[in-house]
Amino acid sequence: MNPEQAQRILQAGKDKGADFVEIFEEETRHAAVSFKDRKVESASAGTDYGIGIRLLFGTEVLYAHTSKDDEEHLLRLIEALAVSRGNMPGIVGLGPDDRIAPLTGIERANRHLITLDPRKVGQERKLEMLRRADETARRFSEKITQVQTRAADTVSDILICNSDGLWLTDTRTRSRFHVSVTAGGGGEIFTAGESPGSQRGFEFFEGLDVEKHAHEAAERAVRMLAAGYASGGKMPVVMGNGFGGVIFHEACGHLLETEGVRRKASVFADKIGEQIAHPEVTAVDDGLIENAWGSIHVDDEGRAPQKTTLIENGVLKTYLSDRVGAQETGVSLSGSARRESYQYAPVSRMRNTYIAAGRHTPEAVIASVEDGLYAKKLGGGSVNPATGEFNFAVEEGYRIRGGKVMEAVRGATLIGKGPEILPRISMVANDLELAAGICGASSGSVPVTVGQPTLRVDSILVGGR
Amino acid sequence: MIRATKTLTPIQAVEFLFDAARKKGADRFDAVAGESESLGLELFEGKVKSTEISNSRGIGIRLFQGHRPGFAFTERLTPEALARTVDDAWSHAALTDEVEIDLPEPAPLPDLDLQSFNPALESVTLEELKAFGLKLEALASKGDARIDNVPYLGASRGSGFSLIANSNGLLYESRSNSISAGVGVVAKEGDVKKMGVYSRAGRAFDPAVFDPAFMARTAVERAVELLDAAPVTSGAYPVVFSNRVSAQVFSMFGSPFFAEAVQKGQSRLKDKIGEKIAAAAFSLVSDPFLLGFPGSHLFDGEGVPARRLDVVKDGVLQTFLYNLESAKKAGVAPTGTGSRGYSGKAGTGFANYIVPLGTESFGQLVAKHPKTLVIVKLEGGSGCSAISGEISIGAQGFLYENGVRTQSVDRVTLSTNFFDLLLGIQGLSNQYNDVFSSVKVPDVLVESVHVSG
Repeated sequence: MNPEQAQRILQAGKDKGADFVEIFEEETRHAAVSFKDRKVESASAGTDYGIGIRLLFGTEVLYAHTSKDDEEHLLRLIEALAVSRGNMPGIVGLGPDDRIAPLTGIERANRHLITLDPRKVGQERKLEMLRRADETARRFSEKITQVQTRAADTVSDILICNSDGLWLTDTRTRSRFHVSVTAGGGGEIFTAGESPGSQRGFEFFEGLDVEKHAHEAAERAVRMLAAGYASGGKMPVVMGNGFGGVIFHEACGHLLETEGVRRKASVFADKIGEQIAHPEVTAVDDGLIENAWGSIHVDDEGRAPQKTTLIENGVLKTYLSDRVGAQETGVSLSGSARRESYQYAPVSRMRNTYIAAGRHTPEAVIASVEDGLYAKKLGGGSVNPATGEFNFAVEEGYRIRGGKVMEAVRGATLIGKGPEILPRISMVANDLELAAGICGASSGSVPVTVGQPTLRVDSILVGGR
Repeated sequence: MIRATKTLTPIQAVEFLFDAARKKGADRFDAVAGESESLGLELFEGKVKSTEISNSRGIGIRLFQGHRPGFAFTERLTPEALARTVDDAWSHAALTDEVEIDLPEPAPLPDLDLQSFNPALESVTLEELKAFGLKLEALASKGDARIDNVPYLGASRGSGFSLIANSNGLLYESRSNSISAGVGVVAKEGDVKKMGVYSRAGRAFDPAVFDPAFMARTAVERAVELLDAAPVTSGAYPVVFSNRVSAQVFSMFGSPFFAEAVQKGQSRLKDKIGEKIAAAAFSLVSDPFLLGFPGSHLFDGEGVPARRLDVVKDGVLQTFLYNLESAKKAGVAPTGTGSRGYSGKAGTGFANYIVPLGTESFGQLVAKHPKTLVIVKLEGGSGCSAISGEISIGAQGFLYENGVRTQSVDRVTLSTNFFDLLLGIQGLSNQYNDVFSSVKVPDVLVESVHVSG
């Protein structure tokens, strides 16, 4: 789309009486190679392309998206959106304030340096790495029955322009490696995986220790295959660092997005300034961490991201916001508006969210538990923001007895409510680590980083046998 | 960004891709194209919160260099983008290991109207959806004094077109549409909040199905009925997975029935054909011919004519589900259960996943044991693995004692294994839920599940 076309489309939206009009154009190139069953299972690439048009009437959001780019079609979509809210066909605006500002290009800060554009490297260079990971995992044990490895990258070229005069382009490059190892024996099967990712180009794969990740996944699959079931009940739980941070992401992070707060669909609505967590807890959502998987150059409304402190020493400071959410809840803009693609209107979403490092050693945290569970690695989880009810699967768990890590246990699930868990995080260690994940919510699946140091939750319900 | 010159229709795009593939030297190829349109809105506190109109399309090609497949897709249907897609697929074929596949020949399809597309639905306007939504929201918010908020209220309709074509001259097209509306309410009592959700969908905007009073009442009931919930003592309980959640449980464990998973060591059903894998009360069918069902189709995602498959009969495993690749590998005919969208490689999938009804009523199921836990809500599925069969999941529901509901239950987790659960089935009810879904499972009574509370 060129600026003249964009100007006409934005003006058409204003002419319908919209307070704000925005165009998001995206072309994303996906490329991946998968290796499974000792074979190159697939090599594929594809291009997503489309345009999203958002009209705001106050805080009412009208959104249309399409993979067609002809101007007439886009103008028809604007007409359809306007008619949908009861506007008569034709022009309704045209007061002196309804002429849109001239589009002015702004330079985004290129925060995350990409040195090897994956589009220029080609897919064949991924093969050797995938084979190496496969061999490493299979060598680990005869119990390994299947290994799947995958290397994928995406490069998105986007354009954001709006009726405030913004004209901004951005390129988002991400690369991710995945290894999933299945171990079998005695009629049972267990699978474990590792999925590191980064906002980098092909240089991410070149610098990646795939053997380490393959070995870790293989070791976990074999160990957990032999593990007995976790015993259920309420108990103290030590959460491992890194991906353990998914618990904060689900149990609390989602409840701090204005998209939930503005619908009163968050139990943390109206709690700013209140002590919602143990004083040991400081939680941050940082969109700026260099080359981190969940970092951004600009958010999907074209705003620069921030490092946002959500909870400081247990006190709720602010929410993660987008344009509409900030307006409705009265918080400032945090540069957190995100969307999976042109198919979604942007809403406030997490970026790199973590609980800040504390003052204890991980060993001291474990030693503090007489009888409990060490959830070394969590699988996934989910939350109902309206009730705060969450659940997590423990992919790698151990029993703690007498302050010592004992036998491996599997089949453990953690359930509870976010507002109840936060005050029970009583010890936070100094070993903060981040891990890549994909978060699904109303604006689709976006790359996020979760993270935390090893920490202790005094009591949580563990599902088991 | 690429500048568009001319956008082709899906069928023109297929012709373009095939022509380019032939010029490359590919002798076998197939393509899947899809196009969809939808419109919908969300309401909050009597106002439209958001409106969405969408229109998307795309096409994917699989071509072979000898026996090496290469795959690529694009959402731009311009000659330039399509040419690049064929270049991509061709270069990928050089990287991929060999796969034996026989692309299907064109075959006569059954002369059957599956009622997947209702032309009348195409004229439902956003205004009508809005009017319905407003009525539903008003009723839901006043449904009970304890209703605190109606955070979710949406209505939408959508239609889709897809086609599959291959180098044998096969070309099948299909069209479908549907309409849906749903409401989520939060009930509050003291510090306790519970959400109740109810949605309806179908192929017609039928007032008997889209009855706002009934929908609001059901969502409200589902929220308030759990406000006084408490955990039960930990232990092993007979459990009824009510038909509100049974489809959710069973559909998480579809892949162990796929030949591809069996062949790659990722199914515990390996070598179990002809063996008893479930209680005799349990059967499972993949049925593509149910009229109006969302999983119905005459041909599968790779162009193989669909057919009805008895997967489990009276507890005995009858067959796995095959696509072209897994069938060729096993030396059997494909079962018409290949799946493929334009942006993904071919997989396997049930048509409609149907567990035939049992003979007993829900009341009879819960009266079989002195104490039975009935599950009406599951929380997350991350603790469930289709590969290992593990089920570890949060749950809410009711405790029944001698057939009488005595307590609402929350803050408990269930722990079992799907393959043990199948063998432990003690009864299936004679009723499905009323959800428009391709997965139909009645209430299922399981002998014993570990419950932690």
